[in-house]
Amino acid sequence: MPVVSLRGLMKVYDTGEVPFTALKGVDLDVYPGEFVGLIGKSGSGKTTLINMITGIDHPTSGEVIVGGTPVHALGENALAKWRGRTIGVVFQFFQLLPTLTVLENVLLPMDFCSTYPLRERVPRAMDLLEQVELADQAHKLPAALSGGQQQRAAIARALANDPPIIVADEPTGNLDSKTAEAVFGMFERLVEQHKTIIMVTHDNDLAGRVRRALHVADGEIVEERIHRERHTG
Amino acid sequence: MRPRWRKVVRDLSSHWFRTVLVVLSIVIGIFAVGVMLGGREILLREFDADHAASIPANVTYRTDDFGEDLAARASEEPGVSAAQARRSATFRYRWDDVEENRTISLEAFRDFEDISVSRVVAADNGVWPPAPGEVVLEASALQVAEYAVGDVLSVERADGETVELTVAGFAHDINSMPAQFAGYETGYISFGTMASLGEADRYNRLSLTFADDGISWAAASRLAIDLRERLFESDGVRVYHTDVPEPGSHFLGDIFSALSLLLVALGGLSLGLSAFLVINTVSSLMAQQVRQVGIMKSIGGSAGQLEWLYVVMVGIYGALAVAIGLPATAAGTRWFTDFAAEILNFRVASYATPAWVIAVEVAVGLAVPLLAAAVPIRRGTRMSVVTALNATGVGGKHFGHTVVDRVLGMIRGLPRPVALSLRNTFLRKGRLALTLSTLVLASGVVMAVWSVQASIERTISDLETWWNYDVEVDFAVPLDAASVAVAIEDVDGVVASETWPVFGATVVHADGSENESFVIVGLDPETDFVGPTLVEGRWLTAEDPDGIVINTDAHDSESSLAVGGSVTLRVLGQERSWPVVGVVRGQMGGPAIYCSAGLLAEATRAPGVTRLLVRGADSDAEAERALLADVEERLSDAGLRASATRTRADLAGQLREWLGILVAFLVLMAALIATVGVIGLTGTMSINVMESTREIGVMRATGAQHGAIYRIYVTEGATIGAIAWFLGALASYPLSVALVRALEGAIGMPLTYSFSWSGVLTWLVLMLAISAAASLAPAFRASRVSVRDAIAYE
Repeated sequence: MPVVSLRGLMKVYDTGEVPFTALKGVDLDVYPGEFVGLIGKSGSGKTTLINMITGIDHPTSGEVIVGGTPVHALGENALAKWRGRTIGVVFQFFQLLPTLTVLENVLLPMDFCSTYPLRERVPRAMDLLEQVELADQAHKLPAALSGGQQQRAAIARALANDPPIIVADEPTGNLDSKTAEAVFGMFERLVEQHKTIIMVTHDNDLAGRVRRALHVADGEIVEERIHRERHTG
Repeated sequence: MRPRWRKVVRDLSSHWFRTVLVVLSIVIGIFAVGVMLGGREILLREFDADHAASIPANVTYRTDDFGEDLAARASEEPGVSAAQARRSATFRYRWDDVEENRTISLEAFRDFEDISVSRVVAADNGVWPPAPGEVVLEASALQVAEYAVGDVLSVERADGETVELTVAGFAHDINSMPAQFAGYETGYISFGTMASLGEADRYNRLSLTFADDGISWAAASRLAIDLRERLFESDGVRVYHTDVPEPGSHFLGDIFSALSLLLVALGGLSLGLSAFLVINTVSSLMAQQVRQVGIMKSIGGSAGQLEWLYVVMVGIYGALAVAIGLPATAAGTRWFTDFAAEILNFRVASYATPAWVIAVEVAVGLAVPLLAAAVPIRRGTRMSVVTALNATGVGGKHFGHTVVDRVLGMIRGLPRPVALSLRNTFLRKGRLALTLSTLVLASGVVMAVWSVQASIERTISDLETWWNYDVEVDFAVPLDAASVAVAIEDVDGVVASETWPVFGATVVHADGSENESFVIVGLDPETDFVGPTLVEGRWLTAEDPDGIVINTDAHDSESSLAVGGSVTLRVLGQERSWPVVGVVRGQMGGPAIYCSAGLLAEATRAPGVTRLLVRGADSDAEAERALLADVEERLSDAGLRASATRTRADLAGQLREWLGILVAFLVLMAALIATVGVIGLTGTMSINVMESTREIGVMRATGAQHGAIYRIYVTEGATIGAIAWFLGALASYPLSVALVRALEGAIGMPLTYSFSWSGVLTWLVLMLAISAAASLAPAFRASRVSVRDAIAYE
């Protein structure tokens, strides 16, 4: 049974005189534990597609079912709660809150969604930071961290509520190749822990290493490749 | 503490500059509203309390000498609750080594510790009561000159001898006309000292209070006349003046109503200004937080949770502002009250601000920011995640779609930084509208206040045209006009002179009641010594001298005085009916009636003249003083005793002092409102520049030097300042007209409206300077941020 199911997904942006169709009736099923890569040129519709899955943006028409929830039918408030518990979002520019320490950034989703008892939150956040090798940086502000460290902190934050799905938009796009490799390795380990990962990337090398690569062009999935063996780099 | 609340605290502390600006905006709002409303309440309360504690008289008679028996009998009269007799006399004196004769009204009480009506109380400095050879000055004398305990006053007796009195201290008498308005000082001496000055050991003033606390003016007037007949006239004691004020009223009442009105009007405007300021700053705060809202919503934060987050943040701003604002306002109100009390000559027993004013201050600090923030917070937190995440700063940065944008885009030939500044100004139209609303209101009020001040100044200039002479001398007793003319005929520099009879007059109503005492002035109908400004009817003429002209003060205080009607006046005990032929503008010297000197002499059985007017060759203040000294010397040589003297400069100065109270308060208010405006401008400019940090990063990345960045933002600031100035100048006209009309109603005198072009130009210079300076500091801060950090700026 798919954990993400998109049916006839359309997104039209009103950009002035001529409407722009970003997604043209996309159908897609993603299964638990899959590592899906979305590749394509800038403006092809990749980010729009994952924004539909996370509920960050609303489709013009079509259905988005994630973990059995009709995301397209949820209101903003319900979406926020659902997203906090179900999906961990990782952005290209990390998007850590600048005035909170790394540890506090990781604690924030648990705070908003009240997912763990208060006394368990800090140990859990520290555990997550341990996993991303940032425990020693826990009390620093994001500005004091390198780009790679900030992205790892953002991944720890995405895992805070133990969501079954991680959606990442160009998570390595702003990192050097060595750091990008480390971050990608982290995603691979998460897949091993049965997380479902949907990742947008420009990097053809990385796209070649995901289980399932979907090529998006002009708002449609034009090609799908399944890689039998995962490379662990 | 939960992470979300830590975010609030850290946002407040890490963006300390923004926090300071927002808190300062709210504090200044609390301060302006609190000082104006609180000041007004304390002023009115303390003035009323001080006035009531003085046991003001229901009637005061100025009479010929009378003895202890009459004073004792007065308190036994039915309807009288207390009686207080005193002796009052006016003298010329010199103070220390100052080469100038001044006037002092000296009052003697039999028992200073037991003054039952119109009480005089000791001030903190010096002794009370005065010993023989000593004088205690009424404290308002300190507004005129720096008198000190131990100073010596050389007081001239009627026979020309001089008696030296030592200043022993100061006292407070709320019922005496403050020295700066009266043109003379008031002092208190013992009867022994009064005798040493050649005065009789008898009384010539009697003040009474009536038993009925709620007595109407008409009833008080009837009782006063009744008592006058029973106490004085039956004993053959002549009464010169019967003064029956509106019960409970004070002669500064008009000024107080005007001040009260100004304070309420400007307090309301400050409240509006403060609300605009807060809306502006909170809107920009939310605009800066939009991306973070997007992030928090993407990791599970609901709109409700985020709303609370920002409500708490704004609440903390408000609480901080209240914590700073309340004590600051209390201090400001205290300073303001002291300032007012000193000018208006009353004592403040308590500076306690009424609870409702504190509630308004807290509401301005907490409720106004929260109400102002409600819409921006709701809009910011309800924004869709994708819109929030894609926001590049303030929402809605779409330049090029409106007519204004296209017009700005079409302007060619401007240097590129200037063109960029102009377009930047209109980039955030919502913000621009909010910024301009605040600044236009502040600018409008400041410029309107300038125009009110200009109108008062213009009115004073108009009023000065009344005095067409240089020196005025009052005599204590009526004199023969010819002997006065002979006395001064050889004085150098005298171009012309006139002598007038000036007496007290009361209007006698059909029911026998009389109104408060007016001054009736007898003059040659063709005199050119005064330049009347006619309000209604005509001035006196030689062809038809049988009529009186009243001034606007008399017109306002006595409804039976109407042009075309006739009125019965009682002057020196004689009654006569006079037709009212005209109304002239008063000089704020109180109600006055003008008539032919010949007719007045006839009506009063020719007792003589009491005022000498001299026109000199030169009309500057120094020449007038020199002329007065010569005239006084000659009068003294001739044994003619002057009780008071004034130069034209003195008279104009008193007028300026009187209306100057309003000007002083207006300037104070304008300064306060200008401060609100300036802080608003600084805040909004700073926030505008802070929001442009990312653009500054981009410009620097593409090669812009610091100087170029400064020029862009300083020009943007100056452009906003100039637009606000222009719109404010337009708004200031109706605002100033409304304020001037309201003031006219309050002081009961028409003012000559004058639009202050100099104020408008001054404010333009100030606005440009302030807006440029307000942009420079944040532009400097922003340009020092590294390009990388600037581009990543949240």
